[in-house]
Amino acid sequence: MKLLLRFFAALLAAAVTFAARAANELNLFGWSEYVPQAVIDGFTEETGIKVNFETYASNEELISKLVAGGGNYDLIQPSDYAAEAMIRQNLLAPLDLKRLHNLKNIDPEFLHRPHDPDGRFTVPYMSGTVGIVVNTGKVKTPIKGYRDVFQPAFKDRIVVLNDNREIVSWALDTLGLPINTITPENLAKVRPVIAEWVKLVKVFDSDSPKTALLNGDVDLGVVWSGEAAILWHQDKRFQYVIPAEGAHQFLDLLAIPATAKNKDAAHDFIDYILRPEVSKLISDAFPYTNPNREAHRLLSTEALDNPASYPHGDGGKLESFRDIGKAAADIDRLMTDLKSAR
Amino acid sequence: MDTLATPAATSLAAAPAIDRRTPRWRAWLLLTPMIVWLVAFVVAPTAILFVYSFCERDELGRVVFSFTLENYQRVSDPIYLRIFLRSIGYAGLTTAICVVVGYPVAYCIGRASEVWRQRLLLLVMVPFWTSFLIRTYAWITILKQEGLLNGALQAMALVASPLDLLYTPFAVVIGLVYAYLPFMMLPIYGSVEKLDGSLIEAAHDLGAGPLRAFSSVIIPLTMPGIAAGTLLVFVPAIGMFAITDLLGGARVPLIGNVIQNQFMQARDWPFGAALGMVFMGLFAVSYWLLQLRGGASDELHG
Repeated sequence: MKLLLRFFAALLAAAVTFAARAANELNLFGWSEYVPQAVIDGFTEETGIKVNFETYASNEELISKLVAGGGNYDLIQPSDYAAEAMIRQNLLAPLDLKRLHNLKNIDPEFLHRPHDPDGRFTVPYMSGTVGIVVNTGKVKTPIKGYRDVFQPAFKDRIVVLNDNREIVSWALDTLGLPINTITPENLAKVRPVIAEWVKLVKVFDSDSPKTALLNGDVDLGVVWSGEAAILWHQDKRFQYVIPAEGAHQFLDLLAIPATAKNKDAAHDFIDYILRPEVSKLISDAFPYTNPNREAHRLLSTEALDNPASYPHGDGGKLESFRDIGKAAADIDRLMTDLKSAR
Repeated sequence: MDTLATPAATSLAAAPAIDRRTPRWRAWLLLTPMIVWLVAFVVAPTAILFVYSFCERDELGRVVFSFTLENYQRVSDPIYLRIFLRSIGYAGLTTAICVVVGYPVAYCIGRASEVWRQRLLLLVMVPFWTSFLIRTYAWITILKQEGLLNGALQAMALVASPLDLLYTPFAVVIGLVYAYLPFMMLPIYGSVEKLDGSLIEAAHDLGAGPLRAFSSVIIPLTMPGIAAGTLLVFVPAIGMFAITDLLGGARVPLIGNVIQNQFMQARDWPFGAALGMVFMGLFAVSYWLLQLRGGASDELHG
């Protein structure tokens, strides 16, 4: 349904852009299906600041609108590698850390990551992984990693994200290559691996990969952990596995664009979200990994037991994406070529 | 779009010419909304795409204004030619099915009594009251393994195990035909409605059987409707990307998907622009060729 939301968001975007921008308004530009309406309403109720919420569906969309749209946004939600590129291009404003009293609630494990080593520009929002979902009602053999998923036995029983960089990173992990070194040599090495994989996949879907699994059209998936968490919550047969070869861990952040007009309200909103009781609302609606340690105390045992939200430690090492600049075009070309060949 | 605008302009300009007291500027005034629309939403974006297609991109995907032909060199790669051909194949098949399915229906509606014609036409329009995306999602519910169609087939004991329908080329063609069928039916209906019944009677009087009357009289007279319908179905079908993603599982990219990807994931607007320009060029050339042939056959008949 994200596609549909995107359609309405695009319509709304035009309206929002022309809306009056009084001092007491905050222009929030965030992911679709990631910020609960209750959080936004609660903030407005407490502070009187009106929140204009506009959404995007990919980091690429965020970047292109930010560089094109200038100072229209006060607060954005980039992923780690996108924030890294933005910091390098001076698109983000340094945060006034003294104003973020609740930053202490964040697990230090999620701070000072390579995208923002000094923690001057970004605050963690939610984290997650990309891993394997197995319908254990249908698949009886043990599934530990990508090699177990992409087997001829499972031809046309697999859904994967329709995200070219993700797929390439799984193949790089499978061959033991670094996932952030996108060189022509490495792409040549993964080419035959992905060529085999593409023949086995039934559905490519980033918006709602859980649909094909729930509908019974496929039995295995390589998907966002949040999708897997929702599946597990609905039906315990859907087990989540961190691939043994290694997996992508993403960290989504809150940041203030350098051109933001209402930086005060943006700081207030960040600090509001860092409150444990507010952070819990986000976890309830979107069960990704919550980096807010204090919020964990408020979560139910079932939520904390969800292996997709909080992996139990088995599986391969977790790695972040780094900005790869123009290499995204090489990846796109490789994947277009391989998908067309079938 | 200029070719579309010109006939409209001449016909509108020609009308006041009869009444010599009416000044010309009034015709232009009437045309202004159309011209503003065309310039703002057709000419300007096309010009931007044209300029972008010769540019480069920087690390963030911003367009850098420096002249290069690299994007067009990439378009000439056989991968993209293959995708172009496949897209033409899908759109062609869709158009053919739409003609075969849509013609009889449009003919019956066109020949029905006044009251029934209105009712049946309304039925053709009803799907437009719901968003196109929602209707496409509905097809997922129908075609999925545990879906309505498989359930019905199994209940009637026609198949032993559920058929693989969703996420196949079959599903894509179903989705495309479903989405564009009304655009074929309405122009054909328009032609059929204008069809002079006495001409068909004359054909019968002159000894033509039903088949002969259909092929020599009815089809040629409704050809403008078929041609308009073909254009209205083929052109949008070739660039469609939502249906291939939702019903085809994004397994086999069509040209619409490739172009969309350049503007989103790949952050390569100049290459996407170059693909779009080539795409548009192909259309312009094929439209021009069609016009040439149409003109030639008109002369033959005239």
